[in-house]
Amino acid sequence: MDDDHRREKENKNLLHDHMKFHYGPTAGGLLESVSMEFSTPGEKISSVSVNPAFKMRELSISGKSINDALLMVERINGYHSASFQIGFLTAVEKALNINVPDDIMNARILQLELERIRSNLNVMERLCLPAGFGVPANQLSFLKEETSRLIGNVSGHRYFFGTNLPGLCRISVRSLNDRIKEVLYDYEDILDALLSSKIFVNRLQKNGFIKDERMIGPAARASGFPIDARADSNSLDYSNCPFSLTLRDEGDSFARFMVRAEEIPVSRDIIISSSQKIRNNLIYEEEYNGSGNGISRIESPSGDLFFMVSIEDGIVKSLEFSSPSIVNIGLFKKSMPGNVFTDFHFNWESFGIWLSEVVHIK
Amino acid sequence: MVVGGCSYKMTKNWFLRGTLKGIKTEKFPAADPLNPPLWPSRLNGSGDVQCPTDAIKDGIWDEQRCIFCRRCLPNYKPTEEQDIFTVRENTNEFRKSLNIYFVDTGSCGSCNTELSTIFSPRYDANRLSIFAVNTPRHADVLVLMGVLTEMMKEPLYKALEAMPEPKAIVLLGTCSITGGIMGKGVLLPEDANLILAGCPPSPYTILEGLERLKGGKK
Repeated sequence: MDDDHRREKENKNLLHDHMKFHYGPTAGGLLESVSMEFSTPGEKISSVSVNPAFKMRELSISGKSINDALLMVERINGYHSASFQIGFLTAVEKALNINVPDDIMNARILQLELERIRSNLNVMERLCLPAGFGVPANQLSFLKEETSRLIGNVSGHRYFFGTNLPGLCRISVRSLNDRIKEVLYDYEDILDALLSSKIFVNRLQKNGFIKDERMIGPAARASGFPIDARADSNSLDYSNCPFSLTLRDEGDSFARFMVRAEEIPVSRDIIISSSQKIRNNLIYEEEYNGSGNGISRIESPSGDLFFMVSIEDGIVKSLEFSSPSIVNIGLFKKSMPGNVFTDFHFNWESFGIWLSEVVHIK
Repeated sequence: MVVGGCSYKMTKNWFLRGTLKGIKTEKFPAADPLNPPLWPSRLNGSGDVQCPTDAIKDGIWDEQRCIFCRRCLPNYKPTEEQDIFTVRENTNEFRKSLNIYFVDTGSCGSCNTELSTIFSPRYDANRLSIFAVNTPRHADVLVLMGVLTEMMKEPLYKALEAMPEPKAIVLLGTCSITGGIMGKGVLLPEDANLILAGCPPSPYTILEGLERLKGGKK
Protein backbone atom coordinates (compact mmCIF):
# COMPACT_ATOMS: atom_id res chain seq x y z
CA MET A 1 0.00 0.00 0.00
CA ASP A 2 1.54 3.34 -0.99
CA ASP A 3 1.60 6.37 1.28
CA ASP A 4 -1.39 8.11 -0.32
CA HIS A 5 -3.59 5.07 0.11
CA ARG A 6 -2.51 4.62 3.71
CA ARG A 7 -3.18 8.28 4.52
CA GLU A 8 -6.60 8.09 2.88
CA LYS A 9 -7.47 5.04 4.94
CA GLU A 10 -6.26 6.70 8.15
CA ASN A 11 -8.37 9.78 7.40
CA LYS A 12 -11.42 7.60 6.85
CA ASN A 13 -10.78 5.85 10.15
CA LEU A 14 -10.47 9.19 11.85
CA LEU A 15 -13.89 10.17 10.55
CA HIS A 16 -15.53 7.00 11.76
CA ASP A 17 -13.44 6.19 14.80
CA HIS A 18 -13.16 8.07 18.00
CA MET A 19 -10.28 10.38 18.66
CA LYS A 20 -8.58 10.09 22.03
CA PHE A 21 -6.71 12.85 23.78
CA HIS A 22 -5.09 13.34 27.17
CA TYR A 23 -5.51 16.11 29.70
CA GLY A 24 -3.09 16.34 32.64
CA PRO A 25 -1.47 15.17 34.85
CA THR A 26 -0.32 18.79 35.17
CA ALA A 27 -2.18 21.58 33.42
CA GLY A 28 -3.05 25.20 34.10
CA GLY A 29 -6.72 24.54 34.78
CA LEU A 30 -6.12 21.76 37.30
CA LEU A 31 -5.59 22.47 40.98
CA GLU A 32 -4.18 18.97 41.62
CA SER A 33 -2.37 16.42 39.47
CA VAL A 34 -4.68 14.01 37.64
CA SER A 35 -4.62 12.45 34.20
CA MET A 36 -7.73 12.11 32.04
CA GLU A 37 -8.26 10.54 28.64
CA PHE A 38 -11.21 11.74 26.60
CA SER A 39 -12.69 9.80 23.72
CA THR A 40 -14.74 11.75 21.18
CA PRO A 41 -16.03 11.32 17.61
CA GLY A 42 -15.72 15.09 17.17
CA GLU A 43 -17.69 17.21 19.57
CA LYS A 44 -19.52 15.15 22.15
CA ILE A 45 -17.49 13.19 24.67
CA SER A 46 -18.28 9.48 24.34
CA SER A 47 -16.20 8.37 27.33
CA VAL A 48 -13.61 9.62 29.79
CA SER A 49 -11.15 7.71 31.92
CA VAL A 50 -9.56 9.25 35.01
CA ASN A 51 -6.24 8.15 36.49
CA PRO A 52 -6.04 9.64 40.00
CA ALA A 53 -2.92 7.66 40.98
CA PHE A 54 -0.31 10.20 39.85
CA LYS A 55 -0.14 11.93 43.21
CA MET A 56 -1.05 8.90 45.31
CA ARG A 57 0.99 8.99 48.51
CA GLU A 58 1.95 5.99 50.61
CA LEU A 59 1.34 6.51 54.30
CA SER A 60 2.65 4.16 56.98
CA ILE A 61 0.12 4.61 59.76
CA SER A 62 0.00 1.09 61.19
CA GLY A 63 2.16 0.82 64.32
CA LYS A 64 2.01 4.53 65.13
CA SER A 65 0.61 6.09 68.31
CA ILE A 66 -2.79 7.78 68.04
CA ASN A 67 -1.18 11.22 68.17
CA ASP A 68 1.36 10.41 65.44
CA ALA A 69 -1.33 8.80 63.25
CA LEU A 70 -3.47 11.92 63.68
CA LEU A 71 -0.66 14.12 62.29
CA MET A 72 -0.81 12.08 59.07
CA VAL A 73 -4.60 11.73 58.94
CA GLU A 74 -5.10 15.50 59.14
CA ARG A 75 -2.81 15.84 56.11
CA ILE A 76 -4.61 13.33 53.86
CA ASN A 77 -6.88 16.07 52.54
CA GLY A 78 -5.64 19.35 53.98
CA TYR A 79 -8.64 21.28 52.67
CA HIS A 80 -11.01 19.00 54.58
CA SER A 81 -8.63 18.45 57.49
CA ALA A 82 -11.24 19.01 60.23
CA SER A 83 -13.44 16.28 58.72
CA PHE A 84 -10.54 13.83 58.65
CA GLN A 85 -9.38 14.67 62.20
CA ILE A 86 -12.87 14.44 63.66
CA GLY A 87 -13.76 11.28 61.73
CA PHE A 88 -10.56 9.57 62.91
CA LEU A 89 -10.87 10.70 66.54
CA THR A 90 -14.55 9.68 66.68
CA ALA A 91 -13.64 6.17 65.47
CA VAL A 92 -10.79 5.98 68.03
CA GLU A 93 -13.09 7.10 70.85
CA LYS A 94 -15.65 4.47 69.84
CA ALA A 95 -12.90 1.83 69.82
CA LEU A 96 -11.82 2.80 73.34
CA ASN A 97 -15.35 3.44 74.71
CA ILE A 98 -14.59 7.05 75.56
CA ASN A 99 -17.53 9.34 76.31
CA VAL A 100 -16.96 12.75 74.82
CA PRO A 101 -18.56 15.77 76.56
CA ASP A 102 -21.28 17.71 74.74
CA ASP A 103 -19.30 20.91 74.37
CA ILE A 104 -16.49 19.01 72.60
CA MET A 105 -19.11 17.59 70.23
CA ASN A 106 -20.44 21.10 69.59
CA ALA A 107 -16.90 22.36 68.96
CA ARG A 108 -16.43 19.60 66.38
CA ILE A 109 -19.73 20.45 64.66
CA LEU A 110 -18.65 24.09 64.54
CA GLN A 111 -15.36 23.18 62.86
CA LEU A 112 -17.04 20.93 60.29
CA GLU A 113 -19.52 23.66 59.33
CA LEU A 114 -16.81 26.33 59.02
CA GLU A 115 -14.89 23.96 56.77
CA ARG A 116 -18.06 23.23 54.74
CA ILE A 117 -18.70 26.95 54.16
CA ARG A 118 -15.18 27.46 52.82
CA SER A 119 -15.32 24.31 50.70
CA ASN A 120 -18.70 25.25 49.19
CA LEU A 121 -17.45 28.77 48.43
CA ASN A 122 -14.42 27.18 46.76
CA VAL A 123 -16.58 25.00 44.50
CA MET A 124 -18.81 27.97 43.61
CA GLU A 125 -15.75 30.10 42.78
CA ARG A 126 -14.26 27.37 40.61
CA LEU A 127 -17.58 27.05 38.74
CA CYS A 128 -17.49 30.78 37.94
CA LEU A 129 -13.96 30.66 36.51
CA PRO A 130 -14.54 28.49 33.39
CA ALA A 131 -17.62 30.62 32.60
CA GLY A 132 -15.35 33.67 32.48
CA PHE A 133 -17.19 35.28 35.39
CA GLY A 134 -14.16 36.99 36.91
CA VAL A 135 -15.96 39.46 39.18
CA PRO A 136 -18.15 36.95 41.08
CA ALA A 137 -15.21 34.50 41.14
CA ASN A 138 -13.09 37.15 42.86
CA GLN A 139 -15.90 38.15 45.22
CA LEU A 140 -16.42 34.51 46.24
CA SER A 141 -12.65 34.11 46.53
CA PHE A 142 -12.64 37.10 48.88
CA LEU A 143 -15.33 35.50 51.06
CA LYS A 144 -13.36 32.25 51.02
CA GLU A 145 -10.24 34.04 52.25
CA GLU A 146 -12.21 35.81 54.97
CA THR A 147 -13.51 32.39 56.05
CA SER A 148 -9.94 31.04 56.10
CA ARG A 149 -8.89 33.96 58.30
CA LEU A 150 -11.83 33.30 60.58
CA ILE A 151 -10.80 29.64 60.82
CA GLY A 152 -7.26 30.83 61.62
CA ASN A 153 -8.57 33.08 64.40
CA VAL A 154 -10.82 30.34 65.81
CA SER A 155 -8.33 27.46 65.70
CA GLY A 156 -4.88 29.07 65.32
CA HIS A 157 -4.38 27.42 61.91
CA ARG A 158 -6.07 28.25 58.61
CA TYR A 159 -6.57 24.51 57.89
CA PHE A 160 -7.32 23.33 61.45
CA PHE A 161 -3.98 21.43 61.63
CA GLY A 162 -3.19 20.61 65.26
CA THR A 163 -6.60 21.79 66.48
CA ASN A 164 -8.00 18.44 67.62
CA LEU A 165 -6.04 16.02 69.77
CA PRO A 166 -7.15 13.11 71.90
CA GLY A 167 -8.54 14.84 74.98
CA LEU A 168 -8.13 18.37 73.64
CA CYS A 169 -9.80 20.81 71.26
CA ARG A 170 -8.00 24.11 70.74
CA ILE A 171 -10.56 26.69 69.69
CA SER A 172 -11.53 30.20 70.62
CA VAL A 173 -15.12 31.20 69.82
CA ARG A 174 -14.82 34.78 71.06
CA SER A 175 -16.85 37.11 68.74
CA LEU A 176 -17.30 34.25 66.28
CA ASN A 177 -21.02 34.91 65.79
CA ASP A 178 -20.50 38.51 64.70
CA ARG A 179 -17.57 37.57 62.48
CA ILE A 180 -19.39 34.81 60.57
CA LYS A 181 -22.36 37.12 59.93
CA GLU A 182 -19.95 39.83 58.75
CA VAL A 183 -18.07 37.44 56.44
CA LEU A 184 -21.27 36.23 54.76
CA TYR A 185 -22.97 39.64 54.67
CA ASP A 186 -22.65 39.97 50.87
CA TYR A 187 -23.01 36.28 50.07
CA GLU A 188 -26.72 36.17 49.21
CA ASP A 189 -26.40 39.25 47.06
CA ILE A 190 -23.58 37.65 45.01
CA LEU A 191 -25.66 34.48 44.64
CA ASP A 192 -28.76 36.40 43.51
CA ALA A 193 -26.75 38.26 40.89
CA LEU A 194 -25.21 34.99 39.64
CA LEU A 195 -28.60 33.30 39.38
CA SER A 196 -30.01 36.22 37.41
CA SER A 197 -27.36 35.61 34.72
CA LYS A 198 -28.74 33.28 32.05
CA ILE A 199 -25.24 32.88 30.57
CA PHE A 200 -23.95 31.41 33.82
CA VAL A 201 -26.98 29.25 34.60
CA ASN A 202 -27.10 27.83 31.05
CA ARG A 203 -23.53 26.57 31.36
CA LEU A 204 -24.52 24.44 34.33
CA GLN A 205 -28.04 23.27 33.56
CA LYS A 206 -28.30 19.79 31.97
CA ASN A 207 -24.50 19.50 32.22
CA GLY A 208 -23.26 16.26 33.79
CA PHE A 209 -26.67 14.81 34.57
CA ILE A 210 -26.57 11.74 36.82
CA LYS A 211 -28.85 9.82 39.17
CA ASP A 212 -27.23 6.83 40.75
CA GLU A 213 -27.96 5.04 43.99
CA ARG A 214 -24.24 5.00 44.88
CA MET A 215 -24.22 8.81 45.12
CA ILE A 216 -23.18 10.53 48.34
CA GLY A 217 -22.87 14.05 49.72
CA PRO A 218 -23.97 17.20 47.91
CA ALA A 219 -24.06 15.29 44.60
CA ALA A 220 -26.60 12.83 46.03
CA ARG A 221 -28.74 15.60 47.49
CA ALA A 222 -28.67 17.36 44.10
CA SER A 223 -30.15 14.21 42.52
CA GLY A 224 -32.97 13.86 45.02
CA PHE A 225 -31.37 11.30 47.37
CA PRO A 226 -31.76 12.42 51.02
CA ILE A 227 -28.29 11.21 52.07
CA ASP A 228 -26.48 13.27 54.68
CA ALA A 229 -24.51 11.90 57.64
CA ARG A 230 -25.58 14.95 59.63
CA ALA A 231 -29.13 13.60 59.52
CA ASP A 232 -28.62 9.86 59.68
CA SER A 233 -25.35 9.09 61.49
CA ASN A 234 -24.90 8.95 65.25
CA SER A 235 -21.20 9.86 65.11
CA LEU A 236 -22.05 13.53 65.72
CA ASP A 237 -25.35 14.71 67.18
CA TYR A 238 -26.95 17.43 65.06
CA SER A 239 -30.39 17.02 66.67
CA ASN A 240 -30.08 20.25 68.68
CA CYS A 241 -28.80 22.26 65.70
CA PRO A 242 -30.92 24.27 63.23
CA PHE A 243 -30.11 21.75 60.49
CA SER A 244 -32.36 21.08 57.52
CA LEU A 245 -31.64 18.84 54.56
CA THR A 246 -31.16 20.64 51.24
CA LEU A 247 -32.61 18.64 48.36
CA ARG A 248 -32.98 19.22 44.64
CA ASP A 249 -34.08 16.90 41.90
CA GLU A 250 -32.41 18.01 38.66
CA GLY A 251 -29.22 15.89 39.06
CA ASP A 252 -27.04 18.21 36.96
CA SER A 253 -24.12 20.58 37.67
CA PHE A 254 -26.57 23.40 38.40
CA ALA A 255 -28.32 21.35 41.09
CA ARG A 256 -24.94 20.48 42.65
CA PHE A 257 -24.05 24.21 42.60
CA MET A 258 -27.39 25.10 44.21
CA VAL A 259 -27.18 22.47 46.96
CA ARG A 260 -23.78 23.83 48.00
CA ALA A 261 -25.00 27.43 47.71
CA GLU A 262 -28.09 26.79 49.84
CA GLU A 263 -26.12 24.87 52.47
CA ILE A 264 -23.90 27.86 53.29
CA PRO A 265 -26.60 29.78 55.28
CA VAL A 266 -27.59 26.49 56.95
CA SER A 267 -23.98 25.98 58.08
CA ARG A 268 -23.80 29.59 59.28
CA ASP A 269 -26.88 29.07 61.47
CA ILE A 270 -25.44 25.82 62.88
CA ILE A 271 -22.19 27.64 63.76
CA ILE A 272 -24.07 30.42 65.56
CA SER A 273 -26.11 27.87 67.49
CA SER A 274 -23.11 25.66 68.38
CA SER A 275 -20.79 28.48 69.41
CA GLN A 276 -23.19 29.52 72.17
CA LYS A 277 -22.84 26.11 73.79
CA ILE A 278 -19.05 25.83 74.07
CA ARG A 279 -16.12 27.15 76.05
CA ASN A 280 -12.65 28.10 74.79
CA ASN A 281 -9.77 25.60 74.67
CA LEU A 282 -11.70 22.50 75.66
CA ILE A 283 -9.77 19.90 77.61
CA TYR A 284 -11.18 16.56 78.72
CA GLU A 285 -8.99 14.10 80.55
CA GLU A 286 -9.29 10.62 79.09
CA GLU A 287 -7.00 7.64 78.83
CA TYR A 288 -6.23 6.79 75.19
CA ASN A 289 -4.33 3.59 75.89
CA GLY A 290 -6.86 0.77 75.54
CA SER A 291 -7.66 -1.65 72.72
CA GLY A 292 -10.67 -2.08 70.45
CA ASN A 293 -12.24 -1.49 67.05
CA GLY A 294 -14.27 1.55 66.13
CA ILE A 295 -16.07 3.07 63.18
CA SER A 296 -17.37 6.54 62.43
CA ARG A 297 -19.30 8.22 59.67
CA ILE A 298 -19.36 11.99 59.29
CA GLU A 299 -20.42 14.37 56.52
CA SER A 300 -17.33 15.94 54.94
CA PRO A 301 -17.93 18.79 52.47
CA SER A 302 -17.65 16.27 49.59
CA GLY A 303 -19.83 13.58 51.19
CA ASP A 304 -19.74 10.58 53.49
CA LEU A 305 -16.43 9.93 55.20
CA PHE A 306 -16.15 6.53 56.92
CA PHE A 307 -13.32 5.55 59.24
CA MET A 308 -12.63 2.08 60.58
CA VAL A 309 -9.81 1.84 63.08
CA SER A 310 -8.30 -0.93 65.17
CA ILE A 311 -6.33 0.03 68.29
CA GLU A 312 -4.07 -2.21 70.37
CA ASP A 313 -2.64 -0.80 73.61
CA GLY A 314 -2.90 2.75 72.33
CA ILE A 315 -1.20 1.90 69.01
CA VAL A 316 -3.03 2.04 65.66
CA LYS A 317 -3.04 -1.51 64.34
CA SER A 318 -5.00 -0.78 61.17
CA LEU A 319 -6.84 2.13 59.62
CA GLU A 320 -9.21 2.24 56.68
CA PHE A 321 -11.32 5.06 55.35
CA SER A 322 -13.65 5.56 52.41
CA SER A 323 -12.88 8.63 50.34
CA PRO A 324 -15.89 10.61 49.08
CA SER A 325 -13.75 11.91 46.22
CA ILE A 326 -13.11 8.41 44.86
CA VAL A 327 -16.88 7.82 44.72
CA ASN A 328 -17.35 11.21 43.06
CA ILE A 329 -14.66 10.44 40.43
CA GLY A 330 -16.72 7.38 39.43
CA LEU A 331 -19.88 9.49 39.22
CA PHE A 332 -18.07 12.15 37.17
CA LYS A 333 -16.94 9.49 34.66
CA LYS A 334 -20.49 8.20 34.37
CA SER A 335 -22.03 11.64 33.95
CA MET A 336 -19.60 12.93 31.29
CA PRO A 337 -20.65 11.01 28.11
CA GLY A 338 -22.97 13.10 25.96
CA ASN A 339 -21.50 16.41 27.09
CA VAL A 340 -19.05 18.45 24.99
CA PHE A 341 -15.46 19.11 26.10
CA THR A 342 -16.22 22.70 27.11
CA ASP A 343 -18.73 21.32 29.65
CA PHE A 344 -16.00 19.26 31.28
CA HIS A 345 -14.61 21.83 33.73
CA PHE A 346 -18.06 22.71 35.07
CA ASN A 347 -18.94 19.07 35.58
CA TRP A 348 -15.58 18.20 37.20
CA GLU A 349 -15.67 21.16 39.60
CA SER A 350 -19.33 20.60 40.54
CA PHE A 351 -18.41 17.33 42.29
CA GLY A 352 -15.81 19.04 44.54
CA ILE A 353 -13.23 16.29 44.00
CA TRP A 354 -9.92 16.26 45.94
CA LEU A 355 -7.27 13.93 44.48
CA SER A 356 -5.25 14.14 47.70
CA GLU A 357 -7.72 11.65 49.20
CA VAL A 358 -6.28 8.97 46.91
CA VAL A 359 -3.70 7.53 49.31
CA HIS A 360 -2.31 4.08 49.99
CA ILE A 361 -2.37 3.39 53.72
CA LYS A 362 0.05 0.76 55.01
CA MET B 1 -19.59 51.32 49.23
CA VAL B 2 -21.84 53.95 47.70
CA VAL B 3 -20.67 56.09 44.77
CA GLY B 4 -22.89 58.94 43.55
CA GLY B 5 -25.84 57.46 45.40
CA CYS B 6 -25.41 54.09 43.65
CA SER B 7 -24.76 50.97 45.75
CA TYR B 8 -23.15 47.88 44.23
CA LYS B 9 -26.28 45.98 45.26
CA MET B 10 -28.40 48.05 42.88
CA THR B 11 -26.83 46.89 39.67
CA LYS B 12 -26.58 43.56 37.85
CA ASN B 13 -23.67 44.86 35.78
CA TRP B 14 -20.68 42.86 36.94
CA PHE B 15 -18.15 45.54 36.03
CA LEU B 16 -19.98 48.11 38.15
CA ARG B 17 -20.54 45.63 40.95
CA GLY B 18 -16.81 44.92 41.04
CA THR B 19 -15.80 48.59 40.86
CA LEU B 20 -18.30 49.80 43.45
CA LYS B 21 -17.07 47.27 46.01
CA GLY B 22 -13.85 49.25 46.28
CA ILE B 23 -10.27 48.04 46.77
CA LYS B 24 -9.88 45.03 49.05
CA THR B 25 -6.17 44.45 48.51
CA GLU B 26 -3.71 44.83 51.37
CA LYS B 27 -0.53 46.85 50.95
CA PHE B 28 1.60 43.86 51.96
CA PRO B 29 4.58 43.34 51.45
CA ALA B 30 5.14 47.14 51.51
CA ALA B 31 3.22 47.28 54.82
CA ASP B 32 2.80 44.80 57.66
CA PRO B 33 0.28 41.96 57.15
CA LEU B 34 -3.20 42.76 58.49
CA ASN B 35 -4.12 39.28 59.65
CA PRO B 36 -1.08 36.98 59.94
CA PRO B 37 -1.84 33.45 61.09
CA LEU B 38 -0.38 32.16 64.34
CA TRP B 39 0.51 28.80 62.80
CA PRO B 40 2.64 28.73 60.74
CA SER B 41 4.89 31.62 61.73
CA ARG B 42 8.43 31.97 63.10
CA LEU B 43 8.80 30.11 66.39
CA ASN B 44 10.60 31.59 69.34
CA GLY B 45 11.71 29.70 72.42
CA SER B 46 14.31 27.46 73.94
CA GLY B 47 14.85 24.00 75.34
CA ASP B 48 14.52 20.51 73.96
CA VAL B 49 11.15 19.07 73.01
CA GLN B 50 9.90 15.89 71.36
CA CYS B 51 9.57 16.98 67.74
CA PRO B 52 8.11 14.49 65.22
CA THR B 53 10.30 15.83 62.38
CA ASP B 54 13.44 16.77 64.37
CA ALA B 55 12.81 20.40 63.51
CA ILE B 56 13.94 21.31 67.01
CA LYS B 57 17.30 19.80 67.91
CA ASP B 58 19.69 21.00 70.62
CA GLY B 59 17.50 24.03 71.16
CA ILE B 60 17.75 25.15 67.50
CA TRP B 61 14.60 25.47 65.40
CA ASP B 62 14.81 24.53 61.70
CA GLU B 63 11.92 26.17 59.83
CA GLN B 64 12.39 23.89 56.81
CA ARG B 65 11.65 20.74 58.81
CA CYS B 66 8.84 22.15 60.93
CA ILE B 67 5.24 21.05 60.32
CA PHE B 68 3.96 23.49 62.98
CA CYS B 69 2.13 20.73 64.87
CA ARG B 70 2.24 22.66 68.19
CA ARG B 71 3.85 19.80 70.13
CA CYS B 72 6.63 22.15 71.20
CA LEU B 73 4.17 24.33 73.14
CA PRO B 74 4.75 25.96 75.63
CA ASN B 75 8.57 25.90 75.21
CA TYR B 76 8.31 27.40 71.72
CA LYS B 77 5.67 29.95 70.78
CA PRO B 78 4.58 31.38 67.41
CA THR B 79 5.45 35.03 66.78
CA GLU B 80 3.12 35.72 63.79
CA GLU B 81 6.24 36.69 61.78
CA GLN B 82 5.66 35.44 58.23
CA ASP B 83 9.18 35.78 56.75
CA ILE B 84 9.94 32.05 57.05
CA PHE B 85 11.54 31.63 53.63
CA THR B 86 15.05 31.42 52.18
CA VAL B 87 16.08 32.97 48.89
CA ARG B 88 19.14 31.00 47.81
CA GLU B 89 19.74 32.85 44.60
CA ASN B 90 18.42 36.33 44.04
CA THR B 91 18.55 37.39 40.41
CA ASN B 92 17.63 40.50 38.46
CA GLU B 93 16.47 38.46 35.47
CA PHE B 94 12.86 38.31 36.67
CA ARG B 95 12.71 41.84 37.98
CA LYS B 96 10.05 43.01 35.51
CA SER B 97 7.73 40.02 35.82
CA LEU B 98 7.58 36.54 37.23
CA ASN B 99 5.52 33.83 35.52
CA ILE B 100 4.91 30.78 37.69
CA TYR B 101 3.76 27.28 36.84
CA PHE B 102 3.07 24.86 39.64
CA VAL B 103 3.40 21.09 39.79
CA ASP B 104 1.67 19.15 42.55
CA THR B 105 3.92 16.14 43.07
CA GLY B 106 1.90 14.73 45.99
CA SER B 107 0.41 17.35 48.28
CA CYS B 108 -2.53 17.33 50.69
CA GLY B 109 -4.11 20.18 48.73
CA SER B 110 -3.56 22.96 51.26
CA CYS B 111 -0.34 24.22 49.61
CA ASN B 112 -2.23 24.32 46.29
CA THR B 113 -5.00 26.47 47.71
CA GLU B 114 -2.63 28.79 49.59
CA LEU B 115 -0.68 29.37 46.36
CA SER B 116 -3.86 30.13 44.41
CA THR B 117 -4.93 32.48 47.22
CA ILE B 118 -2.11 34.92 46.41
CA PHE B 119 -4.07 35.80 43.25
CA SER B 120 -7.26 36.55 45.24
CA PRO B 121 -8.36 40.14 46.02
CA ARG B 122 -6.73 40.35 49.49
CA TYR B 123 -3.23 39.67 48.09
CA ASP B 124 -3.50 40.29 44.31
CA ALA B 125 -0.07 39.03 43.24
CA ASN B 126 -0.67 40.47 39.74
CA ARG B 127 -0.05 44.00 41.12
CA LEU B 128 3.54 42.84 41.88
CA SER B 129 3.87 41.48 38.30
CA ILE B 130 3.58 37.87 39.47
CA PHE B 131 1.42 35.79 37.14
CA ALA B 132 0.27 32.16 36.94
CA VAL B 133 0.73 30.57 33.51
CA ASN B 134 -0.89 27.48 32.00
CA THR B 135 2.18 25.80 30.55
CA PRO B 136 5.81 25.37 31.66
CA ARG B 137 6.87 26.74 28.25
CA HIS B 138 5.73 30.20 29.40
CA ALA B 139 7.09 29.89 32.93
CA ASP B 140 10.07 31.53 34.64
CA VAL B 141 9.52 29.65 37.86
CA LEU B 142 8.44 26.11 38.65
CA VAL B 143 6.71 25.87 42.03
CA LEU B 144 6.78 22.36 43.51
CA MET B 145 4.36 21.22 46.18
CA GLY B 146 4.05 17.96 48.11
CA VAL B 147 6.21 14.90 48.53
CA LEU B 148 7.51 13.28 45.35
CA THR B 149 5.46 10.26 44.26
CA GLU B 150 6.85 7.71 41.83
CA MET B 151 4.36 8.54 39.07
CA MET B 152 4.97 12.30 39.26
CA LYS B 153 8.72 11.99 38.56
CA GLU B 154 8.32 11.93 34.76
CA PRO B 155 5.79 14.82 34.53
CA LEU B 156 8.07 16.86 36.83
CA TYR B 157 11.20 16.30 34.75
CA LYS B 158 9.26 16.97 31.53
CA ALA B 159 8.00 20.26 32.94
CA LEU B 160 11.55 21.21 33.96
CA GLU B 161 12.86 20.39 30.47
CA ALA B 162 10.07 22.35 28.79
CA MET B 163 10.89 25.58 30.64
CA PRO B 164 12.97 28.20 28.82
CA GLU B 165 16.16 29.63 30.36
CA PRO B 166 16.62 31.40 32.71
CA LYS B 167 14.48 29.42 35.10
CA ALA B 168 14.08 29.09 38.83
CA ILE B 169 12.72 26.42 41.16
CA VAL B 170 10.63 27.09 44.25
CA LEU B 171 9.95 24.52 46.96
CA LEU B 172 6.64 25.35 48.62
CA GLY B 173 5.81 23.73 51.95
CA THR B 174 7.54 21.28 54.27
CA CYS B 175 6.55 18.20 52.22
CA SER B 176 8.43 19.42 49.15
CA ILE B 177 11.47 20.60 51.17
CA THR B 178 12.16 17.71 53.54
CA GLY B 179 9.12 15.46 53.21
CA GLY B 180 7.94 16.29 56.73
CA ILE B 181 6.02 13.28 58.05
CA MET B 182 4.44 12.36 54.70
CA GLY B 183 7.35 11.03 52.62
CA LYS B 184 10.42 12.38 50.85
CA GLY B 185 11.13 15.89 49.62
CA VAL B 186 11.07 16.65 45.90
CA LEU B 187 14.60 17.95 45.42
CA LEU B 188 17.55 18.73 47.61
CA PRO B 189 16.93 22.19 49.09
CA GLU B 190 20.31 23.30 47.62
CA ASP B 191 18.83 22.85 44.13
CA ALA B 192 16.04 25.34 44.75
CA ASN B 193 16.21 29.11 44.31
CA LEU B 194 13.52 29.82 46.88
CA ILE B 195 12.39 27.72 49.83
CA LEU B 196 9.04 28.60 51.39
CA ALA B 197 8.62 27.00 54.80
CA GLY B 198 5.27 26.24 56.40
CA CYS B 199 2.69 23.53 56.50
CA PRO B 200 1.26 25.04 54.40
CA PRO B 201 3.09 28.39 53.94
CA SER B 202 0.63 31.26 54.38
CA PRO B 203 -0.17 33.51 51.39
CA TYR B 204 1.89 36.24 53.12
CA THR B 205 4.98 33.99 53.17
CA ILE B 206 4.48 32.92 49.53
CA LEU B 207 3.90 36.45 48.27
CA GLU B 208 6.88 37.98 50.07
CA GLY B 209 9.14 35.05 49.09
CA LEU B 210 8.25 35.38 45.39
CA GLU B 211 8.68 39.17 45.54
CA ARG B 212 12.16 38.71 47.05
CA LEU B 213 13.02 36.13 44.37
CA LYS B 214 12.17 38.82 41.82
CA GLY B 215 14.74 41.04 43.48
CA GLY B 216 12.31 43.11 45.52
CA LYS B 217 13.56 44.61 48.76
CA LYS B 218 11.73 44.44 52.07
